[in-house]
Amino acid sequence: MEGFWTVALPVLKVWFNSLVVLIMLPAMFGISLGITEAYMKILIKTLEWATHRIQRASRAEEILKHSSSNSLIQRNDSSLEQEIEDLRRNRPKSAERGDFTLSDVLYFTRKGIESIVEDDVTQRFTSEELVSWNLLTRTNNNFQYISLRLTILWGVGVVVRYCILLPLRVTLATIGLSWLVIGTTLVGFLPNCRVKGWLSDLVHLMCYRILARSLSATIHYHNKLNKPKKGGICVANHTSPIDVVILANHGCYAMVGQVHGGLMGVLQRAMERSCPHIWFERAEMRDRHLVTQRLRDHANDKTKLPILIFPEGTCINNTSVMMFKKGSFEIGGTIYPVAIKYDPQFGDAFWNSSKYSMVSYLLRMMTSWAIVCNVWYLPPMIHKEGEEAVQFANRVKSAIALQGGLVDLAWDGALKRARVKDSFKEQQQKIYSHMVVGDDSSD
Amino acid sequence: MFYREKLLLEITTVSLEQITILHNRFRQLSQNEESLRKDDFKTIQDLESNPIRFQIVEAFFDKRNFQKNDVGSVEEIGFEEFLTVMSYFRAPALHITEEKREEIRRAKLRFLFNMHDTDNDGTITLEEYRHVVEELLSRSGALGRETAKGIADAAMLEVASISVGPMAPDEFYEGITFEDFVKILKGIEIETRMYIRFLNMDTTVMCK
Repeated sequence: MEGFWTVALPVLKVWFNSLVVLIMLPAMFGISLGITEAYMKILIKTLEWATHRIQRASRAEEILKHSSSNSLIQRNDSSLEQEIEDLRRNRPKSAERGDFTLSDVLYFTRKGIESIVEDDVTQRFTSEELVSWNLLTRTNNNFQYISLRLTILWGVGVVVRYCILLPLRVTLATIGLSWLVIGTTLVGFLPNCRVKGWLSDLVHLMCYRILARSLSATIHYHNKLNKPKKGGICVANHTSPIDVVILANHGCYAMVGQVHGGLMGVLQRAMERSCPHIWFERAEMRDRHLVTQRLRDHANDKTKLPILIFPEGTCINNTSVMMFKKGSFEIGGTIYPVAIKYDPQFGDAFWNSSKYSMVSYLLRMMTSWAIVCNVWYLPPMIHKEGEEAVQFANRVKSAIALQGGLVDLAWDGALKRARVKDSFKEQQQKIYSHMVVGDDSSD
Repeated sequence: MFYREKLLLEITTVSLEQITILHNRFRQLSQNEESLRKDDFKTIQDLESNPIRFQIVEAFFDKRNFQKNDVGSVEEIGFEEFLTVMSYFRAPALHITEEKREEIRRAKLRFLFNMHDTDNDGTITLEEYRHVVEELLSRSGALGRETAKGIADAAMLEVASISVGPMAPDEFYEGITFEDFVKILKGIEIETRMYIRFLNMDTTVMCK
């Protein structure tokens, strides 16, 4: 046993030191040594080769991964009224009165089966299917044995990811988090002054940079001129909890969220000490006025950091943007929209919270190759005169969808968990019953 | 997977490509499990706003639709049953005999009939019919129960007059039998009304 430690200890020391010098320090000061770039280049070359092999091996497999065309069936675009008129036209002559016939059922049956075959909303809550394979079996639903060389490559990939990258990333993440807690607590001891604000920003930025490195995140920021300023509200589309790290890597924001216990709670309390964030107790969240008031107070204070909000309310799989909840748009102040688009080739960042817990999700993130994403800062928008909050929300949503190349959907993200409101079902019934009763010539 | 698909190709006349698409959809709905349950259909948002979604979902679990001469209903189905039910909506074939066409038509009509005839006694009684009418019409205020009932009764009378001829006021109409059902819907092109058209995927790759 003794022998083991005498060997292991210096190795650990060397490893730790190299870690600090090569990764942490540059990360903290925002400079890059070019290691990540080289890593990405090698990765891309390897993946291209792997894709080539699959394509050569069997061409038929390609159509299974055709993610570009999104619709499977041809739908009749005519409305409810037109179709039912059509169906009724073929009725036998002897029965001209009577307002309801069996054939009406055909229309609804067909619509029902169509939606079973393909449905707009459910598609958005499963991960995007890739056109090529990135050597992670989790992204390939139709994984089959292609060739020995490919399998060996995949095996090597597994070893690299789990035995080299994972411990490295976990260490970095631990360092980053503990430094965040310690740093913010230390800054918290200072009296309120400009230096405190500056130091707090510095600590936050450093720690988030380390955390971003721990995920091997390569982020490209576009339109940096439009970066959110103090006293504003930053809204972005939501794909995973990592969005926070991605955005905070570049600027400082005030976070909004529920008070948690455990490790999250420790983090929250520490961050609260160095600069004001907005944490709500569970009970307070029900009171919408209270929530809006607190957010408004924060936004009105021009010395406080911009608030970061994700109006969708839940994680979407990054191919579309769902309905924005209007609450964030009633606060007033300037809205700075931000569009985040992940490149699924290197790792799927979507958190399917009904499928994976937070811990297993983080594990998946840390064993992916890398997280590559693009962040676009859009020009600020303000609430126009006489515009409803919902309209304003939709305007912002369209801008974000347009910039990020995502589909703009009107559906509510909460449908991931809940059922469609009965009012939607009743709407169809109302239109239909109008037709039937409106035709009432008998009795 | 390919052996199963060949077998299914023989049962139904859906193309291999369509089977693959439906298989993917099946797995998506069942969350990668082997069998599908009624609850899995609740995740389809478009279906939730359909007034007769209950009947449609039930049709998938109705053994009468599995073409095995069985009755009753099941709790969960495998891909084979899912595909069999979907095949009722297959495209109309071009070069088939009149008999075959009539057979397919009757099969589709049987599917619709089973959707209404929930207790499987071979007839759609007034009660069952009323149930369908109520589902299709709004329950919320715009149409009271009495009105819906009235409409169902009127429609039932219409059906009776077609199939049985004018009735005396005290005669009792049992219900719509399958033959009456076929007669009523005679004028309608079931083949074109009851099928789902798959868009052409990239077919060049399929040609080897």
